This record gives sequence, structure tokens and C-alpha cells, in this order.
Amino acid sequence: MQDLEYIDNYFKGTLPREENGRFEQRILSDPPFAEAVSFYCMAVQASKEHLVPQKKERFRILYRNYSHPVTAQRPALVRRLLPFAAAAAVLAALLIGWYVWMKPSSPQQLADNYIQQELSVLGVNMGNRQDSLQTGIQLHNEGKDSSALRQFESMIANNASDFTAIKYAGVVSLQLGDYDKALRFFRALQQFRLYSNPGKFYYALTLMKRSGPGDREQAKELLQQVVQNNLEGKQQAQQWLGKW
Amino acid sequence: MSYPAKSLYPTDQDIIRNLSNGNRRKGEEDLFNSYAYFIKEGTRKYRLPEDEAFDAYSDTVLSAIEKITRGLFEGRSSLKTWLFQIFQNKCVDLLRKKTTNKSSVHQTASITDMLFQLSDSSKTVIQQLVEKSDFDLLKKRLSELGATCQELLHLSADGYSDREIAAKMEYKTADVVKTSRLRCLDRLRQLYKRT
Repeated sequence: MQDLEYIDNYFKGTLPREENGRFEQRILSDPPFAEAVSFYCMAVQASKEHLVPQKKERFRILYRNYSHPVTAQRPALVRRLLPFAAAAAVLAALLIGWYVWMKPSSPQQLADNYIQQELSVLGVNMGNRQDSLQTGIQLHNEGKDSSALRQFESMIANNASDFTAIKYAGVVSLQLGDYDKALRFFRALQQFRLYSNPGKFYYALTLMKRSGPGDREQAKELLQQVVQNNLEGKQQAQQWLGKW
Repeated sequence: MSYPAKSLYPTDQDIIRNLSNGNRRKGEEDLFNSYAYFIKEGTRKYRLPEDEAFDAYSDTVLSAIEKITRGLFEGRSSLKTWLFQIFQNKCVDLLRKKTTNKSSVHQTASITDMLFQLSDSSKTVIQQLVEKSDFDLLKKRLSELGATCQELLHLSADGYSDREIAAKMEYKTADVVKTSRLRCLDRLRQLYKRT
């Protein structure tokens, strides 16, 4: 048993340092001693291995207490579903894009856009002559719609067949939000036999803007007539009917 | 994963202190809990089933405990970095073992670990003797020893000092433990040689 104590002291680190060299030398020169060292190492290893399952079981209980089970299948499932998820994301992006850029606009929105782009600033003749019509247009372009309307109404009062004044009076009334008045002016405008008469188109535009009960249906019908009869505003009417 | 925040765990210093100075069980459990999320890493990074990732992590913790108790952790990196390095090696070993079925390599490697302080020539002699021995028979003989003997040998192999064993098993002194332990070892040797 003495050799085992000597070996134990070496591996526990309690052997005097100067003895370590002799210990190693004995392994090389004393086969029974080397056998004893090998036995000691194996015995320690066998004891350690005996403890491993117990310790692992203890760890397993700790792991169960602290964690939800992580299944190996879960990442695989996620990986399998990844292409479908990516396709769904792309489809959703396309649908959102289509909704944002291509969604059907309401007639009121179409009318708003048109009024903003085409009627908020009216063309002014560049000549020096300062007539009543140009004054009215200038007032409108400066945002003074009420004054502009008075100017145009005054002109109509002086000349009931001044279809240009009637047209501008309707446009200004529309922008003032007085739709009934605008409709009256545009209905009057339609009575004139002109080479190019936007009366019906503006009438439809006003209905679209007002969007009261039955207005949209009537506006649609008028726009169809504008297209069919090749009236002024035909191109715009076609576009709107496409988005209706 | 429902592991609590890292700040709720003891520091690396606490773990090492507990493993080295007596409160072994707490040290072991704290070490295991602190980095148990590595198991998920094993399933994700190495695509191991959870059970195998758990085994790799448990082996990692056991190996780390042994090194720490023997004073072989030098603290040149954080405990986490060091532990993760061991864990990665264990995962790779496991994958290799699965593909080549070389499970016997581990046993020799573990004994070689014990021999780290020997010179190469002495180490070679011991390794050759170990390879010629019947390790399974020795394990069988170990299980035939009395319960007290087994416990003495297991605690000692687990890194407990004779003083700690004395306190744990209610021996009077560490010297008594040492004498009893060496007697048990001698008894095991006789049993092993008899066959």
C-alpha cells in the first residue's frame, strides 16, 4: 500500500518538489511501480466515470426546471417554412404597393386633384389691356375668389351671353364650395353652341366634388356622354372612368 | 428560453470560489445554470438534437469543474469564453463520434489529462500500460467494493480533499480518510489482479 500512498501524494501535489524527478525516474526503471501508477490513474478515472451519470442527471433536473424544451425539430420547421414566409412577405409588399399606388380613387379625390392642378390658377392674357375678365381671373389667381365671383357675376349681369364669364363664374363658385351655384353656371354654359364647350365636363366635375346622393352616378353618366360625343374634357373623362 | 437575466447569476469569481473552497455543489449548479443557454447554441449552430447538445454541455461543465478544482483555469479569458471553447470542441467531438463511431478515444484522453505533469517518456509508459489494461473489468470490480469504500474513492476522484471528505462523511480527521481511502484502493487492486 506504500506505493499507492506515494503515487497518491504525487497526484494530489503533496509530494516534495525534489521528489518528482525520482517519481518519474521510477516509472521508467521499475515496471511494477509503473503498473501501480497505471492502476491508480485507471481507478481514479473509473470513479470519475461512475459519477458522470449522477451528475448529468442532476444537471438534467436543473435544465428541466429552468428551461422550456428546445426541440431539434423546431429550427428545422422554421427553415422549412422560411421560403413560404418569404413568399408571403413579398406578396404582402406587392399588395400594399398596389393598394398605395394603384388603388381606385374616389370621384371626390379625382375631382380634388383636377381642381388643384388645372383650375387653381387660370390662364391670364399677357396683353396690356386690363379688361374685366382678366381682372376677375387675376383676383381668382390671387386667392380672392369671392371678389372674382362678384367680378364675373357683374359681367354676366351686363351680358347674359358672356359664356366665358359664365364658365369662370362656375369655376370660382366650385372652388368656393358653392356647388349649387356652380352647377347653375355650368348648366347655363351647356346651352351655348360652341366649338369647344366644357360645360358638361365641368358639370360632372362639380357633381364628383359634391358627391351627394346620386351625384356620382349622374357624374359617371355625364362623363360617358363627354367621351361618346367627343366633347371637351374627353381625355380626362376617359381616365376617370378607367379608375372609377 | 426562459433563463433569467445574466445579472441574476453569480459572478465568475463566485463560481470559482465556491468550486475551490468547499461549496462544490452550489458552484457546480451555478456554473451549469449560468451558461445553460449554450445548449440552444448547440442545437442551432451544430444542429444537434437537444439531448446531445445537453450531453455536450454537461461534459463541458464537468470538464471545467475538474480543471477549476485542480487550479488549471488560469483566468486568461472570461469563464464564458473558456467554457464556450470547450463546448464547441465537445460538439465537434460529438459530431465526429457520430460519423466515425470513435467513442473509445475519450477514455484514454481523460487519463492522459491526469498525466499532464509527467515528462513525455514517463507518460508514454503509463499510456501503454493503460491501453493494455481491462478498464471495464476495473469498473466492475469498483462496483463490487463496499458502499463506504466506493464513496471515499468517488469523492476523492471528484476533487474533494481528504479534509472535505472527513467533514462530509463524519471521519475524525483527514488522515483517517486518507488511510481508509488508500486501503480501499489497495483492496480494489487486489480484486482487479485476482482475475
